[in-house]
Amino acid sequence: MTVWVVLVSMMLGVATSMAAPPFDPAARPEVALETLLARSRGSEDCAATTDRLRHILCSGVLKVGVRGDYPLFGMAAGTIRSGYEVDIAERIARQLGVTLSLVTVSPANRIALLAEDRIDLVMATMGHTTLRDAHARFIRPHYYASSTELVGPRAVQAADLSALAGRTVCVTVGNASNAELSRHGARLLLFDNPEQLIDRLNAGVCMLAAQDDSFFAKSFTDPRFSALYDRKFHFAPLPWGMAVANQGGEDLATALSLISQMMHRDGVFVDLARDHHIDAGFLMEQRAVWNRPTCDRADGFSNPDCVLRPHATDLAPTLFASRVSDFEHWLGTQAGIHPVLTMFKIAPAWDLIRWGLFNSIILIAATLASTLLFAVVFGLGLSTPFKPLLWSARAIMVLVQSTPIVLSLVIAATIANTVFSFSSTVALAAAAITLGLTNGSYAGQAISEAIVTLRSDYERLHSTVTAPKMFMEAMRRSLVQIVSFLINATKGTPAASFIGAPELLNALTDTTSFSSDRTTTYWLLLIFYTLAVLLVIQLCTILRRTLEREIARPGGDSP
Amino acid sequence: MILQPDFFAAVLSGMLLNFEIAAEALLAGLVLAIPLTLGTVTKRTAIRRLTASVVLILRAAPTFVVMFFLFNLLPHRVSIGGIAMTMSPQIIVALSLLPYSSTYFSENGAEALRQWRAGSVLAASLFVPNTGRAYLVLVMSTGSGAAIGVTEGISIILHHAESLPTLSERLAVFATGILLFAIPLQTGFILLTKLRGMLTRIALSAAHTPQSVQSPDHA
Repeated sequence: MTVWVVLVSMMLGVATSMAAPPFDPAARPEVALETLLARSRGSEDCAATTDRLRHILCSGVLKVGVRGDYPLFGMAAGTIRSGYEVDIAERIARQLGVTLSLVTVSPANRIALLAEDRIDLVMATMGHTTLRDAHARFIRPHYYASSTELVGPRAVQAADLSALAGRTVCVTVGNASNAELSRHGARLLLFDNPEQLIDRLNAGVCMLAAQDDSFFAKSFTDPRFSALYDRKFHFAPLPWGMAVANQGGEDLATALSLISQMMHRDGVFVDLARDHHIDAGFLMEQRAVWNRPTCDRADGFSNPDCVLRPHATDLAPTLFASRVSDFEHWLGTQAGIHPVLTMFKIAPAWDLIRWGLFNSIILIAATLASTLLFAVVFGLGLSTPFKPLLWSARAIMVLVQSTPIVLSLVIAATIANTVFSFSSTVALAAAAITLGLTNGSYAGQAISEAIVTLRSDYERLHSTVTAPKMFMEAMRRSLVQIVSFLINATKGTPAASFIGAPELLNALTDTTSFSSDRTTTYWLLLIFYTLAVLLVIQLCTILRRTLEREIARPGGDSP
Repeated sequence: MILQPDFFAAVLSGMLLNFEIAAEALLAGLVLAIPLTLGTVTKRTAIRRLTASVVLILRAAPTFVVMFFLFNLLPHRVSIGGIAMTMSPQIIVALSLLPYSSTYFSENGAEALRQWRAGSVLAASLFVPNTGRAYLVLVMSTGSGAAIGVTEGISIILHHAESLPTLSERLAVFATGILLFAIPLQTGFILLTKLRGMLTRIALSAAHTPQSVQSPDHA
């Protein structure tokens, strides 16, 4: 009897499988979805399947990664979940006829969890970019679109990106528009999650904050927030996509695309957005698109006229990307170290780093030259017998030495950006001059003190010497101090990032647009600058010893 | 009105934070300087060389980079010896100043130890004004905290200036800020220079009396 039941069941299974018609591109989306689900249900053994859709249908559970801290879209309060994305996930699970299981994800781990098979689908405020296309299979049509919004106190004026030069903008790490802000000279203050931006705006730490407009939507529903802050401008439009794993995710992606098409066509997305007080402008446009006969068909989601393109992030690989990957793999297997060297594998990120390195070296060289120049100027000014000049030099020295370097840099940048318009060169020059002025004032003070002791020495020996010769001797006497302030000036160069100078610290901050990894990034930064300072120490030591040997040889000029 | 009524109170309260962070960096630096100082003056060559290498690297690490490194890589909460701590930006600024403060105190501490061993207690006591000078340098350096969102004096000045539309108004705010920082810092530097001069004079005059050249061993 049992044998008969098994045989009949097998025959029915085969019959169901054979009864499912082939995928018809011109069919209605609901017909195509039904066909696909029927085929998946009737296909291979559940235990052996590698197909994600089949696995979900077999287990009866759809695991969706959603945000737990993003107002209106995905919030978690204990076991209670709410938000636009949560509601979409529920609709999808219902369409597939399975139970929904929600998993909290963050921007840093959402794609990784997908690759590790810990979730089937991610729907977590994720912009669809060409870079992310390589790591996950994005579902089209997109279920939302946002743009980056700049928010700040009503009294603050900022009409467009050009107004951000030299100003602090609070952003979240990994945000795709960080590089754009940085290119316009904004000082980026990085935070882990968008909620911190609101806190910091309210605490007065952030004068301006940039984030997806979808995030600020909730805040602007609060009358107190609206009274204090307003939207300055929008930029970088970005479609949002849900995504599934690349491997084995083809059928699941097709099913989700068909469901999304129908949800657009039937106005479900619009209704859900309105339920959560989310701007539905984009969704209204999409509803019209998906009601077109050319789009409302089984292959609509692959029709370029119906779907949006991902945000192009121009991510050509570097020529040595494969060798970098090999190196990552080698380090992982040999030393158990797993650095993320994305910045060396993506051409635009590598360009940023190359320019950052180049600018850092230029900045260090310019700062050293400027420190020496100001040391001479202050040395002369502070040792002159001409009183008005002497007092002026002293006043400037006290002023410069009493001003914290960060404040000095900002003052220099404010003046420079007013006189010239903001550019990388202006920011680098302002930083080199400021760092040179501060450190040169200390070195110049040392030179002037050496001149005083030399004068007394020459007077004691009843000897005379020309002023230039005495100045050179004073420079030699104060070499130790000069060298120490040259080293100090080199150590100060990373602070130039605070005024938007495109040196390595700023360049690496920009690369967080391409990768949310920060460990490797900041290790590289620390190693580079420490080595740069060590190199300057070494060069200065060689220079000092050479000059000291010169003085010590017979016929030296010292009194 | 360029300067709002609460501007001075806000900047002064922010400056208190600068002094507080500098005090934290100073105390932590003094503690960390103890092993470095002992490693510097030890007769064991290997330890001395190792300490010299550590000091060289610590001296070469730029404060601003160390601050960003710690800010981005330290977990928000850490547990040290079972005590849970929140790594606030304020603590991160203090920690970023540790390479400077610890190496400064280890070098000055080693020099003071040498002077004390040589019998010149007064010369060794120059460690006190040097510590004061380092404290004022630390106060100046704490302004870097503005880059990671610490609401200290510089951050408040910049925040106020950014809300003003014209260059002249911003420069007026900056000038006021410089003045507010310059008064305590220059007063401190002048007092420390006087204290240093006084101690040097005492040391020099004591060097001319027969008793002063005796080390504690000769007494």
